[in-house]
Amino acid sequence: MKALYEQNQSDVNEAKSAGRGDLIPTIKFRHCSLLRNRRCTVAYLYDRLLRIRALRWEYGSVLPNTLRFHMSAEEMEWFNHYKKSLATYMRSLGGDEGLDITQDMKPPKSLYIEVRCLKDYGEFEVDDGTSVLLKKNSQHFLPRWKCEQLIRQGVLEHVLS
Amino acid sequence: MFVSDFRKEFYELVHNQRVLLFVASDVDALCACKILQALFQCDHVQYTLVPVAGWQELETAFLEHKEQFCYFVLINCGANVDLLDILQPDEDSVFFVCDTHRPVNVVNVYNDTQIKLLIKQEDDLEVPAYDDIFRDEAEDEDLSGSDSDGSEPSEKRTRLEEEIVARTTKRRQRREWEARRRDILFDYEQYEYYGTSSAMVMFDLAWMMSKDLNDMLWWAIVGLTDQWVHDKITQMKYVTDVGILQRHVTRHNHRNEAEENMLSVDCTRISFEYDLRLALYQHWSLHESLYNTSYTAARFKLWSVHGQKRLQEFLADMGLPLKQVKQKFHSMDVSLKENLREMIEESANKFGMKDMRVQTFSIHFGFKHKFLASDVVFATTSLMESPEKDASGTDHFIQALDSLSRSNLDKLYLGLELAKKHLQATQQTIASCLCTNLVTSQGPFLYCSLMEGTPDVALFSKPASLSLLSRHLLKSFVCSTKNRRCKLLPLVMAAPLSIEQGTVTVVGIPPETDGSDRKNFFGRAFEKAAESTNSRTLHNHFDLSVIELKAEDRGKFLDALVSLLS
Repeated sequence: MKALYEQNQSDVNEAKSAGRGDLIPTIKFRHCSLLRNRRCTVAYLYDRLLRIRALRWEYGSVLPNTLRFHMSAEEMEWFNHYKKSLATYMRSLGGDEGLDITQDMKPPKSLYIEVRCLKDYGEFEVDDGTSVLLKKNSQHFLPRWKCEQLIRQGVLEHVLS
Repeated sequence: MFVSDFRKEFYELVHNQRVLLFVASDVDALCACKILQALFQCDHVQYTLVPVAGWQELETAFLEHKEQFCYFVLINCGANVDLLDILQPDEDSVFFVCDTHRPVNVVNVYNDTQIKLLIKQEDDLEVPAYDDIFRDEAEDEDLSGSDSDGSEPSEKRTRLEEEIVARTTKRRQRREWEARRRDILFDYEQYEYYGTSSAMVMFDLAWMMSKDLNDMLWWAIVGLTDQWVHDKITQMKYVTDVGILQRHVTRHNHRNEAEENMLSVDCTRISFEYDLRLALYQHWSLHESLYNTSYTAARFKLWSVHGQKRLQEFLADMGLPLKQVKQKFHSMDVSLKENLREMIEESANKFGMKDMRVQTFSIHFGFKHKFLASDVVFATTSLMESPEKDASGTDHFIQALDSLSRSNLDKLYLGLELAKKHLQATQQTIASCLCTNLVTSQGPFLYCSLMEGTPDVALFSKPASLSLLSRHLLKSFVCSTKNRRCKLLPLVMAAPLSIEQGTVTVVGIPPETDGSDRKNFFGRAFEKAAESTNSRTLHNHFDLSVIELKAEDRGKFLDALVSLLS
């Protein structure tokens, strides 16, 4: 883009000083391509921002290092701003403590859900300290908030009856 | 011990705890499990559901889960053996057993702390009295600790004589008591039979807590019909239980004819029907259904050409054109369908089939879905025992469990298609067995063995399908043979289970008589025969009359059985 811009600049100067009117279409053409390139770059950057926003919902407030490696400094700054505004919003909902809306993917309908185990997972801690053994094809009736993580990973499946 | 108040002594105890459910692999257990799941979900009781197909699976699953739970509920497994002996649980584990297998093991009945039986005591249980079986161990110690006297010889002599006399009388009494105990236990445990359906017991619990719904009532109906389809209960008991359920049906599904219908047409409703006994006839064609129901196939003797001609006479007698009858039932002419049941019953009476119609229930929901209870039983059994190689047993269990919910109708229809194939396979196998005279008399029982190359033999290695095949075969055999003595014999049937391991599944069923009480002695007979010949058997199934046997030991096992029963 820089090369195009410089060429255009020199042509404009020439056109102004030497009065060469036939350079004007070239200038216009280069200008249009410059504008198009700018649109493409901006679209690409905007798409990256949308994906970074989705990362906040998927991974939580701390991103893994592999992802941070691929983001530029400005993008990290944008991410932090987004995190802050989301946190302020969540704190303003639901009374005094705020409401963590990143927990459930869809609005929850009940406290406990019926889940079915799709693969052997092993022992899983429940809130009161006891553990549940998750074996393939066993069904469990557990509190919703404990199962969300495993449902996202694909170990459990929500059974709708 | 028997639980008298199900709500206080079972439900309130587990209400705030986490529970582990062990569910056996038959339709009655699935229905009871669905009802209990619905109750638990209503009250937010955290539970874990583990399907088990046999004793080994029960033991492994128990070992894996026993640290995490204190309360265990066993559905259709565990009443007929000594549970504490098999599972070796900790002191504070409590087992609630809701099982239809009888006789209930005496240890389970008389254990007061750890085993609670969710079984109604109105069932004719005939449990032996406590004193006849158990005796205080402290009394025996009087016999052993007595030689420590050290006083004058003469007094000692008379006292010693008295002691010797007392000891010998006690020993004789003890031996008599033990002999009597052995006889009582032998009589009690000799015959296996089935009690009230677990699904009905669970529905009763729900009704007592006023949490019963139409859905739960339907599951209770399916559980009862499963017992009837698989010939587990007598006709009398079936009719009594149908009466009980009919009262619930009218309570939930009354239609006030005077007012306009307040519920729309597509809501769920269950209705009592006095419908034909033909399997799946509303989802199939009438001809196929007549062909593949064991009742009609046996009476018409449809494995012979003569029998097929009789079937055509039967249809002609009713005035049903063959083309109509071979179409799908829905597409038959409405004029023919209108009085179909009465017409068939009349003609059936002429041909010697008096019980063509049977009391049952049907469910309607949506605008076009209508199922009879027996349809659902056949569909769910086929899903559970379909011989697909890549899916494991628990996958089938989950599929069958899902098909019982109303939102999974696609699975139910899949089950119906599978059921049609299974029924056809059953009838073809029966026809080939009878035509090639594979059923031979061994003396005290009839014996039939399926060869390995038989089509669909993979299906018949599963216990419920093999039992159904054997019962239908016996019914057909009884109608086909002229030998009067053979009609009263029970049947032992063998089918290859696994070619690599060289095992066969062996099933024993009681004789087919009109007033039979469906009591099966083969469980104990198989155990004794296996012990006496050291055959390599695996008594893995919850029904003790189904075992796995190594094919090489088959000959000596049968010989032992013959000598045992004659």
